[in-house]
Amino acid sequence: MLNLILIGFAASAIAPFIYKPLKNYFGWIAATFPLYIFLSFISRYNQIAGGDIIRETFNWIPSLGINFTFLLDGLSLTFVLIITLIGVVVFLYAGAYMKDYDHADRFFVYIGIFMTSMVGMVISDNMITLFVFWELTSITSYLLIGFNHHKEKSRKYALQALLVTGGGGLALMAGFILLSQISGSLEISSLYDLNETIRNAPTYTAIVILVLIGAFTKSAQFPFQFWLPNAMEAPTPVSAYLHSATMVKAGIYLIARMNHSLGGSALWQDTILIVGAITMLFAATLSFNQMDLKKLLAYSTLSVLGTLTMLLGIGSKLAIKAFFIYIIAHSLYKGTLFLVAGILDHETGTRDVSKLGGLRKHLPITTVIAALASFSMMGIIPLVGFIGKETVYSAILEVDYWGLFLLSISVIANALIVMITILVGFKPFWGKLLSTPKAPHEAPIKMWLGPLALAVLGLLMGIFPNVFIGRLLDQSAISIISEKLELPIKLWHGFNFVLLMSFVTLLLGVGVYYFRTKILHIAQNLKIKNIFKPSEWYEFLLNGMMSFAKLQTKVLQNGYLRNYIIFILVTAVSLASLALFKVENLFRITPDFSITFYESAIVIIIVLATFMVIISDSRLKSIVGIGVVGFTMGIIFIIHSAPDLALTTFAIETLTVILFVLVLYKLPKFLPFSKSYSRLRDIIIASSVGLFMTLVVLYITSIELQSELKKFYTDNSVPGGKGRNVVNVILVDFRAIDTLGEITVLAIAAIGVFALLKLKLEDRNK
Amino acid sequence: MSFLLALIIGILYGAGTYMILRRSLVKVILGLIFLGHAANLLIFTIGRLTKGAPPFIPQGAETLAEPYADPLPQALILTAIVIGFGVQAFAIVLFKRTYQTVGTDDLDKMKSTDELK
Amino acid sequence: MLNSLQDLYHIIPLLIVSGGILVSIIVEMYSKDSEKILFALSILVFGAAGLFSLYSVNNVSILFNGMLATGGNVNVFSFIFNIGAFIVTLLSADYIRKYGTYYGEYYIILQSSVLGMMLMAGAKDLFIIFIGLELMSISFYVLAGLNRKRYNANEASLKYFLLGAFATGFIVYGIGLIYGTAQTTSIDILTVRFPQLTGNLLFLAGVLLFLVGFTFKIAAFPFHMWVPDVYQGSPTVVAGLFSTGGKAAAFSAILVTLAALFNGNVGSLFTPYLIFVSALSMIYGSIVAISQDDIKRMLAYSSISHAGYLAIGLAAGNSEGTAGIIFYLAAYSFMNLGAFGIVALIEGENETNLSIASYAGLAKRNPALAALLSIFMFSLSGIPPFAGFFGKYYVFFAAIKSGLTWLALIGILSSVISVYFYLRIVVLMYFKDQGEEVIPSKSAMGMVGVVLSAILVVLLGVFPGSIINLISSFL
Repeated sequence: MLNLILIGFAASAIAPFIYKPLKNYFGWIAATFPLYIFLSFISRYNQIAGGDIIRETFNWIPSLGINFTFLLDGLSLTFVLIITLIGVVVFLYAGAYMKDYDHADRFFVYIGIFMTSMVGMVISDNMITLFVFWELTSITSYLLIGFNHHKEKSRKYALQALLVTGGGGLALMAGFILLSQISGSLEISSLYDLNETIRNAPTYTAIVILVLIGAFTKSAQFPFQFWLPNAMEAPTPVSAYLHSATMVKAGIYLIARMNHSLGGSALWQDTILIVGAITMLFAATLSFNQMDLKKLLAYSTLSVLGTLTMLLGIGSKLAIKAFFIYIIAHSLYKGTLFLVAGILDHETGTRDVSKLGGLRKHLPITTVIAALASFSMMGIIPLVGFIGKETVYSAILEVDYWGLFLLSISVIANALIVMITILVGFKPFWGKLLSTPKAPHEAPIKMWLGPLALAVLGLLMGIFPNVFIGRLLDQSAISIISEKLELPIKLWHGFNFVLLMSFVTLLLGVGVYYFRTKILHIAQNLKIKNIFKPSEWYEFLLNGMMSFAKLQTKVLQNGYLRNYIIFILVTAVSLASLALFKVENLFRITPDFSITFYESAIVIIIVLATFMVIISDSRLKSIVGIGVVGFTMGIIFIIHSAPDLALTTFAIETLTVILFVLVLYKLPKFLPFSKSYSRLRDIIIASSVGLFMTLVVLYITSIELQSELKKFYTDNSVPGGKGRNVVNVILVDFRAIDTLGEITVLAIAAIGVFALLKLKLEDRNK
Repeated sequence: MSFLLALIIGILYGAGTYMILRRSLVKVILGLIFLGHAANLLIFTIGRLTKGAPPFIPQGAETLAEPYADPLPQALILTAIVIGFGVQAFAIVLFKRTYQTVGTDDLDKMKSTDELK
Repeated sequence: MLNSLQDLYHIIPLLIVSGGILVSIIVEMYSKDSEKILFALSILVFGAAGLFSLYSVNNVSILFNGMLATGGNVNVFSFIFNIGAFIVTLLSADYIRKYGTYYGEYYIILQSSVLGMMLMAGAKDLFIIFIGLELMSISFYVLAGLNRKRYNANEASLKYFLLGAFATGFIVYGIGLIYGTAQTTSIDILTVRFPQLTGNLLFLAGVLLFLVGFTFKIAAFPFHMWVPDVYQGSPTVVAGLFSTGGKAAAFSAILVTLAALFNGNVGSLFTPYLIFVSALSMIYGSIVAISQDDIKRMLAYSSISHAGYLAIGLAAGNSEGTAGIIFYLAAYSFMNLGAFGIVALIEGENETNLSIASYAGLAKRNPALAALLSIFMFSLSGIPPFAGFFGKYYVFFAAIKSGLTWLALIGILSSVISVYFYLRIVVLMYFKDQGEEVIPSKSAMGMVGVVLSAILVVLLGVFPGSIINLISSFL
């Protein structure tokens, strides 16, 4: 299967090269590519339906357990077939639709990569490769939403969608890594037998939350649903393909896929059920005041995604059966309706429902397509949507305690979907002809052929459900709940409660359609403030970060070097003090108080000189003072048996003073810059640093010392280094590389000094 | 004397800290020099003090008998002093040039930072 | 002390670079047209040292009385430094000429900074780390202010120098305390003695101060304030080097030291500090980067958050963490250099065209540059399948393995935020038509450098296995 993925990426990459010369036929050519993948997979249909599972492994990073492991079972095959079949239609359609866009060639690259990644994702068995494909779909979605790039909105919403879905993907990755810590493997199939172990693991809750965040963001479940309607800025083929038929179902696919290993707990099932139910109802009500064809469809898609999630949460055999039928039905009719909306937009120049009407004479074929898809969406016999809705209702009815409640809210949600359907699928075509920005005419064949095929397929599936869905259903269910369904699928279940509910839904929907302006009016008068607006949370967070950044610029990053130093000092000293003050008996020290006359003289000199440097307002006095400090250091070294150090210090101090004197008159005079309060602050900081250091030295010198290196160096100095001054031997022999480095540092400093001075010289020459 | 040296180290560190917090560039250089002295003296003191016994092996002897000063800290400080000088020289020249280019030695006037919308 | 000719063979990469410096100095002194020669020489030196490091990666040995290690991950680091500097050299060719301020010292100092990095990575003694660090830092201070007579550059150089010298002070003080309590600066001996020293809080304070100093050098919160000012003020290609080679070298030194500390299973003493640094760097860097208008400041803040991701590997304290850091550094070096390279190409005279708005509509005017920059931005934000993703994956994996799941989650949160500001550039380039007429400078060498970075980023992303295996085999 890796070769199919590679072919997919390669085919996408060559699209720009053949687009220009073949522009007029490009839709047909492009459609062969998903068709090829569709055929390659459908050839394995019998094998999979017979109960086989195909598994292939290609090494990628074996040492980390990350490999291209592909697994084809009922669940993945169902999704692959949906993805590629709708792909054929969308690619063909886009050939005509995208013709007038700039960079249409780029569009085909993105959508080709998207389709390949989507296929790769659903057949991945390795969690990390699944994640990689997952993020690839997010990126391509991002590029495609932003494709109408002259709109400011497109840019904003493209990024928003990527942040939400890509971010969720990263959470998913964390969940996967945690999961792999339990099983020791990154293969999903290796988790199948570990359900019990995983559920008892301490990290189980974290895993569930992380995986579900990934799934909910991708499938736009509450409270992450806001990105999907905004993503309708994308060109219509993208909305039809990514944001209705395929990508948004990735999250649901993931829940289905992981149900095997993570499912069965109240946490998993209830979370999914509740979130799904909220999304179903909430999204449908939000569609109320929409007039944009695509927005309306987007809200209905959200509602359906909620229903699908809820079905997985119910998790019974019947629910899984409903899940599959509904997902197939929805992909067929919703993709079609989106494409119809695209045709309307393309041929009339508007997507505003209130401006569309009576177009059936101008767009006869489109009218038929829209009607077929709409009947399916409303759940009217004999279309596949009818079977879908029937099974969904019966699955919900099975639920203990909450069954009737869930059923009533799904009836309401579905009634609202019926209203949407009437608005999108019928209103533009029937009634009075309204004038539109462009003179309406029928779409070209490339644009209606595909939707027609999908709509007809929806009809055929409804009439012969067993032929199309039945055989794969059992195998798909095994992938989710490891049980066969053994529930026959048929169109007609007789007159029963569920059928009544379907009827109620329809009636209610039609009623809502007729009274919707009035209802809307009442709702507005109630002035219910919508607190459930997660999109505002998003804005709020973003603005919050901006203000944080501004605040830190004022407080921390204000450009004052002094503040940087104070911040560093205070942090470091407090960190170190924290460590130091934990020492017990810090003051048990008996320092060496024996002082000779010379020593006290030295101390007095060094202290006086130091204060002279600090207080002096004359540069010369300061330099004299610093020189005195340096030379006194040398004397301290002499007293304590370090003649080499003393010599070096004397030499260096002399050089420092000379250097200072040389550049002295190039340097500015001291001016009393600081205010007295900042002086006071600095004195406090400086004193605490000094005090801290003194304490540290006192503490260290009170500890016993045993130095083996000392003995090593003195013992080996003569035999090994042939020298009697041990310090020198260490410098030029034992630690010669130190010295070599030291010389290099000096040389580089010299070059630096030279470079700085040379700059000055060149200025003067100019 | 170790107590007095500890005191001196504290004073030098304090003085150095105070000086590098000044606004005037030259004072900041002086502060750095103080800190350099303080660090050297610190390593020297915590390597333990020995009076009147430098680590020289007399002619004819193969090694030294205790007590004698530890040669290793001395070697390390020697390296540190020399590197410190290189850094100092660079600092002085850098400051001088900055003063000439920027036209002030007031550090508070050098404060480019984020320009936010 | 070298014991045999074999030892010389082990340090060939170091010899190449040191030799390069010497030859460069001579060329600069005696040649009138030194620029081209020095450029070619640098290319040769970095290319040869980098490739030889990789070639001799299996020659693991310890030299100079146990002060310097070669082979293994030391050579992997050496490869990163040298190839990074190779790219920087390519990028510099036209960049430093663009301003008419070429100095022969430029290439010499570039080489000496790399020598410093290599010493840090190979160090087996705290003092060698110090010397390598000084060598690198002084070179950096010079590079930061070398090229221009501009106010900003001087200020940057000055701030960098002062804060850098200050941080070095912490490191020296830390080494002082470690030496004062452990009686040695040799890392191997420290490793042996460490278990006895864990009760000695002064020793721990020394290690902590050492880490604090290096927190500055890796540009992590709370010692990050120099980063934006310095990156903005320094020549762009040089800022690229600071953020990649400089960071990588500092991390190599921390790894060398912590390897000693983690030996006794007591490294966890410093985990709270590392977690603190890591978590705050990630969040802080990402959030503040969002609001930046200047692309170099944006990259500067993002480099703070990358220091945070890398520090996750330190906090995790297992071999996956170490391997993750090394891989991440390789990926980060190339992707960030690539990004800085493109910024350098776009940059106009007198530091114009550095605002993010200058990138609007770049895809139309220069599709190749836009595509390359997109690769770097995607990689920097950690989106698969580019190199940046596996770096992040690896450190997150290490963190989760050692029970720091929530730290990995903070990393993920920060990555999400970072997607916003990295991809904002991509949005501008592709999705926005109108923009100022910004004409990127034509630089064949610069393009070679950028393309080379892109190739490495893609290769590391698509085939991370081989290099991950290589790194892990030495742990």
